Amino acid sequence: MQLLRPGVTPPVVVLRALLLVLPCAALALALPVVPDGLVVTAVVLSAAGWAWFPDHAVGAAPLALVAGWWAVHAVVDWRLLVVGVLLTAAHVAATLVSYGPATLAVDAHLARLWVVRGLLALLPLPVTWLAVRALDPALAPSWLWLLTGVTVVGLLLVTARLTRPETR
Amino acid sequence: MTSWQPTPALVRACLLGLGGVGFGIVLGQEVLAVLCAPFVVLAAVGLAGRPRARPEVTSRLDHRRLHEGQGTTSRLEVDDLAGVEHVTRVAARAAHVASQPTYGAVGSLVPDGLPTVGFSPRRWGRRAVGAENVALTSQWAGWRWGPVHLPETSLVVQPMTAPYDSRAEVPQPDGLVGRHRSRRVGSGTEFEGIRLFASGDRLKRINWPVSLRTGELHVVTTRAEQDAGVWLVVDALRDIGVSGGIDGHASTLDLTVRAAAALAEHHVRTGDRVGLLVVAANGARVPLGSGPRHLQRLLGTLARIRTDARSAPPERLDLGTESGSVVHVLSPMLSTPLVTAAASLQRGGTSLVVVDTLGGGLTTDDGAGRLALPNLAMRMQKVERDDRLRRLAALGAPVVPWHGPGTLDTVLQQLARRAQVPRVRA
Repeated sequence: MQLLRPGVTPPVVVLRALLLVLPCAALALALPVVPDGLVVTAVVLSAAGWAWFPDHAVGAAPLALVAGWWAVHAVVDWRLLVVGVLLTAAHVAATLVSYGPATLAVDAHLARLWVVRGLLALLPLPVTWLAVRALDPALAPSWLWLLTGVTVVGLLLVTARLTRPETR
Repeated sequence: MTSWQPTPALVRACLLGLGGVGFGIVLGQEVLAVLCAPFVVLAAVGLAGRPRARPEVTSRLDHRRLHEGQGTTSRLEVDDLAGVEHVTRVAARAAHVASQPTYGAVGSLVPDGLPTVGFSPRRWGRRAVGAENVALTSQWAGWRWGPVHLPETSLVVQPMTAPYDSRAEVPQPDGLVGRHRSRRVGSGTEFEGIRLFASGDRLKRINWPVSLRTGELHVVTTRAEQDAGVWLVVDALRDIGVSGGIDGHASTLDLTVRAAAALAEHHVRTGDRVGLLVVAANGARVPLGSGPRHLQRLLGTLARIRTDARSAPPERLDLGTESGSVVHVLSPMLSTPLVTAAASLQRGGTSLVVVDTLGGGLTTDDGAGRLALPNLAMRMQKVERDDRLRRLAALGAPVVPWHGPGTLDTVLQQLARRAQVPRVRA
């Protein structure tokens, strides 16, 4: 019996399987605390949808759900770093398989390039983690929060401007 | 109109990076800011890598005319690759065309060169290849141009000239210069006889032993070597069987067209003049001619053959043949009018050879399903066909099944011998 669809190579299947497994694993790190059944169901279903359509906006859902759950539970121990790595790895895997249809073989050069890019993207993770653990937000001056808020709004506006379709 | 659009990967990175960090700071959820920090990097570099160019994408095939089984490469041309990091091509599948990669999807980084797609037509005819979608992706997979649809290109696929060679002579060569031994006396190499010297005879033809013995000058005479007119009549009224291309089973039309191509190439190579008559809905007639350009014309005509259920067989084969021409009728001989037309040609004194190209086209099941309606119909067709061929053979037209090299040797030798026999004209 043929397990794979004609033309689909095993590396593509592995990458798609990672899209299902990695967000679930990031949530499973919370054990022995068991997340709410609704959250688990939503993560599994959205991750499965993402694995089926890696080039779809649904991919943001499992990542946002997992990140949201950890944020709500305010866990700042070592597991946060692992969760960050898993979520970034899932994003990189989805990017790799979204270059073409399922029958497009994974290019080894492209895969190496994205592994390096993934590692580069992970650089802020330990820095922010250490900052969150070591710095006390109560000691920060009030203007810092205002500046941060303005910066975020500015970045959102720049993003909106850049992603606007070109008009000719 | 095509423009650079953000990829889902960039949208995801922006949502998580900016949204996550923003909400994290505004709502005081520092964990959210930590988890989304990597996505800020991915979003920032993705956004910054937006290309400004408006590339024009085209593709071209290395070859427009091929033989079955040969291959060509489709190359992509992009006028401006500034900011483009990766190119993906997805070629549409075409009937009887193999592609490399097998499923037509190929991609590569721009520094590694633009990806190419290989096509190899597996069956003669006109093949539409090259329809594809092309997508260009910017650095960090932030932006995508396309997919741009590129239209298909027509590829003329000439039939594979099955290895064919024949050492038999054409029965009645009547041309000027060629390889076939004719009945006329001329400056060939084949011995014809010895006669008395006459003015104008070449001195090198004098046979000295006979001249000395008889006391009078005698010369050796030889037969002229001339080319012949060969007509190929191709029956394209029906195509029986399923064609698997050059790698699989051959349908009757495959056998017919490939046999015609092989015969045409053989006769043109030996210097004969070859003509072609295609009996089909879009019938074609190529007058007698010789040389490589004429061979290309013949193969091109064969490549354009299409069968049509509405095709009506002709009542007579109007070849306009000169005396001395040989007519090869390549047909599975399933059409009575075509058999009648061939019989008329034979009665008219033309040297006719019927090349049977049925092959395994009417193979019946001898097992449990032998009484099934399709099998019965097929057997009836076969019985009728055998009867037609028997009657054609009774008229003196040889019928030979096509089996490649040497198929026509025995038949042509018999026809040549028959042509030497003096005829009594009424």
